[in-house]
Amino acid sequence: MPQTPPVLDQIQTSQQSITAILNKIETVVLGKPKECRLALACLLAQGHLLIEDLPGMGKTTLAHVLATTLGLSYQRTQFTNDLLPADVVGFSIFDKETNRFELHKGPIFNQVVLADEINRASPKTQSALLEAMAEQQVSIDGITHELPTPFFVIATQNPLFHAGTYPLPESQLDRFMMRLSLGFPDLKAEKQILLSMSQRTNQTLQNVKVDNEAMIEQEELIAIQDAVTQINVSNDVLDYIIALSHVSRRAYSGQANVANMTWDNTPEINCKPLSPRASKALLQAAKAMAFIDNRDYVLPDDVQAVFYVVCQHRLEMQPNQQIGSNQRDSSSVANQILNCVDVLNPLGYS
Amino acid sequence: MNFFKRKTTQPSSGCLGKGDNSNKINFSLSIKNTWLLWLCQCLNIAVIALELSTWMLAIISLSLVWQALLLHQNRDRVKAKKPIKTGIQLNHRQNTHLNKQRVTNVAPILLGIFALLGCLAIAITAKEVGILTSMLHLLCFSYVLKAFELKARSDFYQLFLLGLFVLASSLIFRQDLAFTLITFTLLVINLAVLLQLFSLEKAFATNIKVVVILLGQSILLAIVLFLVFPRLSPFWQVPLAKSAETGLPDTVKPGDIANLTRSTKLAFRADFGQQKAPAYSQLYWRAMVLEDYDGRQWSKQKAARTTPSNTVAGADKSSNDKSLTFDASTTDVLPLNYQVIVEPSFQKYLFALAPAVVAGDKSGIKAQTGYTFSSTSVISQAKSYQLASYLTAPLALELSQKSKQVNLRFPEGSNPRLEQFALQLQHNYADVQARAQAVLTFINKEKYAYTLQPQLLDNNSLDQFFFDTQSGFCVHYASAFTFLMRASGVPARMVTGYLGGEYNGDDAQQFNSKGHLSIYQYDAHAWSEIWVAGKGWLRIDPTSAVDPQRVNSGWSSELLQQQSALNNDLISLYQLKNSALLNALRLQFDALDYQWTRWVIGFTTKQQYNLFKNLFGKMASWKLALVIGVSLIISMATFMLFLHLLNRAKHTQQVLSKWQVVYQKALAQLAKQGMGKPAGMTVNDFAKQVREQYPELAIAFTRLSASYNSLCYQTLSINEQDKLALTMQHHYRQFLHILKKQS
Repeated sequence: MPQTPPVLDQIQTSQQSITAILNKIETVVLGKPKECRLALACLLAQGHLLIEDLPGMGKTTLAHVLATTLGLSYQRTQFTNDLLPADVVGFSIFDKETNRFELHKGPIFNQVVLADEINRASPKTQSALLEAMAEQQVSIDGITHELPTPFFVIATQNPLFHAGTYPLPESQLDRFMMRLSLGFPDLKAEKQILLSMSQRTNQTLQNVKVDNEAMIEQEELIAIQDAVTQINVSNDVLDYIIALSHVSRRAYSGQANVANMTWDNTPEINCKPLSPRASKALLQAAKAMAFIDNRDYVLPDDVQAVFYVVCQHRLEMQPNQQIGSNQRDSSSVANQILNCVDVLNPLGYS
Repeated sequence: MNFFKRKTTQPSSGCLGKGDNSNKINFSLSIKNTWLLWLCQCLNIAVIALELSTWMLAIISLSLVWQALLLHQNRDRVKAKKPIKTGIQLNHRQNTHLNKQRVTNVAPILLGIFALLGCLAIAITAKEVGILTSMLHLLCFSYVLKAFELKARSDFYQLFLLGLFVLASSLIFRQDLAFTLITFTLLVINLAVLLQLFSLEKAFATNIKVVVILLGQSILLAIVLFLVFPRLSPFWQVPLAKSAETGLPDTVKPGDIANLTRSTKLAFRADFGQQKAPAYSQLYWRAMVLEDYDGRQWSKQKAARTTPSNTVAGADKSSNDKSLTFDASTTDVLPLNYQVIVEPSFQKYLFALAPAVVAGDKSGIKAQTGYTFSSTSVISQAKSYQLASYLTAPLALELSQKSKQVNLRFPEGSNPRLEQFALQLQHNYADVQARAQAVLTFINKEKYAYTLQPQLLDNNSLDQFFFDTQSGFCVHYASAFTFLMRASGVPARMVTGYLGGEYNGDDAQQFNSKGHLSIYQYDAHAWSEIWVAGKGWLRIDPTSAVDPQRVNSGWSSELLQQQSALNNDLISLYQLKNSALLNALRLQFDALDYQWTRWVIGFTTKQQYNLFKNLFGKMASWKLALVIGVSLIISMATFMLFLHLLNRAKHTQQVLSKWQVVYQKALAQLAKQGMGKPAGMTVNDFAKQVREQYPELAIAFTRLSASYNSLCYQTLSINEQDKLALTMQHHYRQFLHILKKQS
């Protein structure tokens, strides 16, 4: 169908803003262009982002710069093990003067919620985020409140072997579209970080925040998000995505339910199966990558680019022990799956 | 699926009269396609134009021109109000798929009045032109008017069907091979235009290819239908032709046949089979015997029917008739058997080499007095019949008193000088044959000229011709001669028909030669017959006295030149006959056309019936119909089932598209070089890898990969896809070239 112009049009008009945003993020998070792109793609695909890394790797910086460059209202919440659900969501308080209960909105009523060190909070508090992330609404004292659009949760967490952490339940992990890991900067980038520190004396995070004015209008952001969903996906790419998720289900599914694809020619991979929600997230993220690349159609390259960050946390049997492993790592489950599906002929037609 | 629906409400996008109309409209076309449709319409009308009256043609061409003007106007408006949008690519797309409403800005009332007036004119002239022609007028008129109100999809279907109907009805009038080929080409164009309306994406040439393939696939069904479909005689009354160009006229006056000879149209063909064809000068194809002369023109004898004495004496009449038709049992001359295939002439008379009897099937053929034959119905399609001729047998050794009277009658005082000349002849030559010979000698010796452009005669006076102008065509000479004979007391009459014919095949003089004679309209001829006691009717052709070549071998080059000058044709017969190659081609085509007429057009109800009788034995016609119907349904059902199974088998096995095949070939080439592509690697990543390992291949392979990516994953129109696939082929060839150079 040749009725595609709206998407192309949007791509062309917002190309500048996208480059500006990326440039801005990359000046703050040095030496990590790939991760910056992935993080932006996640937000353009309307997904929630989980950044997992060791302390001091720039997780919060990335979250901050994302929120500010997109020009959204945001609030940062430091999750601790004594944080209560009401602290996140909000609560009703009795006003003596008006003789009524008044809603005291929590930090979740912002467009961007920075949940810092989310795995340090108790499971109860973590799950308070659940409804908000899935439904984009919260219930306080039985009254449902709509959350603003666009709505993102950007959470950071420490690797699980660190002391004082509660692992996120699988259901909640599944709600994050991507799990990013920044990893150590290379030596050159680290040197630059140090240099910029010494140049700008008394630099704190606070200063960074003032620095980052919005690079995009809110209407444009919403238009871009709409355009991303409308990006064309050819049949071949869809086949590729279902083939990928299909391979992960070998241990769970009794028989191959895709034409011509038998278990005989798929290797056994020790992983959790990918849900249809995972496939959806994969497709959406791939679309956003295509958008950032100024294309109105999805390539298998886009799928591969986001596959690790979208699927690894849903696939792995054991919580992640590695740091900075969203690179191509042949040993990871995600990469094993990628390697065994033929890009040109995903469903194994003969 | 590719039709653009008008969804945005751009204020007055030019082609619509009123804004609120836009809701009703659910169909629109690109400019290119509207012009295509218009052109197609013009072509369809052109095929049938010859059969329409001049005033109708004028109305139709007026409407077509009007439409063209409207189209032109619309295009300008669309151009002027082209929406301005941001983004270059977007604008480009808009240009290629400009939505446009076809001619709609004609007020319906105006159109209605126009239609009513046209219908009125058709109704008024109906009686004059005959029912078939007036129906044709109505059809063509509605065909051009329909184009003014193309709004919904169904309107296009109707227009298309009307177009097919027009094409089909043109076949009523002509069925020769050339014309059939033209009609078939137009059918292909019509279908392609229809296809074009449904797949805007494809190029017109592609659509034509598709149509040709589809028609090719339907040939089998067409053959079956050709064999089994009942041939019905026309429901309408076939009109008699009025124009002199289509055949011999009923009445002949000097100067008549000369017009006919301008036509290079085929009149009929004769096939002598294995026998030797008679010499050219023996090929006097008799069509009509004209016995009545009123001083101006010759006509068929009508007196016999009007005189009361004949109707009373029925027995006498029958005996009289008998003596005038030929009885084969009375002669011991060997018969010459041949087949004649007459082209549709919209007349009734048939052709024979006198004297002849019908050899084969006698139905539909009547033997007339004067040794001629006529069809019982108007010949509206090719008709074939078998004859046996006894060329040397005498005609009517006895002449009844009444016949004698008729053949001696002439209006006295109509041509006084000739009468006087006749009396002189009668006085000088007592013997009838010597008298005739004397006239011929006179014509030969005096300065008579044989020409297609004789001077006009006042009141068709034979005197003027014979003594003053002395130039004329066969009718002049035959008329004058017959008149002279009658005036000198010899029973004589005028005969019209065709002389000669062009032999097409191997050497005509050989036995077993396969070939046929083609007789064209320009072979039309007139000669005369005199009755001599004891010898019967003798054929005398005064033309032989003035231009012996015409009688012995056909037209002289002088006459041909005259003809081409008169016709102003692009390729005249004269030029054709002068160029050996063109003539050979013409003869080849004529032979093809003969086979076409014989086997396809000539496959009539009778042949059909015989075929089935041979196949299934004799059976009641309803049984036959049942057998045919059931077998047709069963064969169709099996065919459909077969197709269905074939398609299903294809579905389970995905077919690789051509670009996939090309890319796989490239991959195989690289694998030979030890550069295999891991299954999980994307096309782009692999291209990068190749770039690093073989920098020479970098450009070609990267381009190849990029085209592959676009073709596989980008949403492209079919046109773009075709183009890109071609570019990809090109890149592949480059890639191969570089690879070869390396190794």
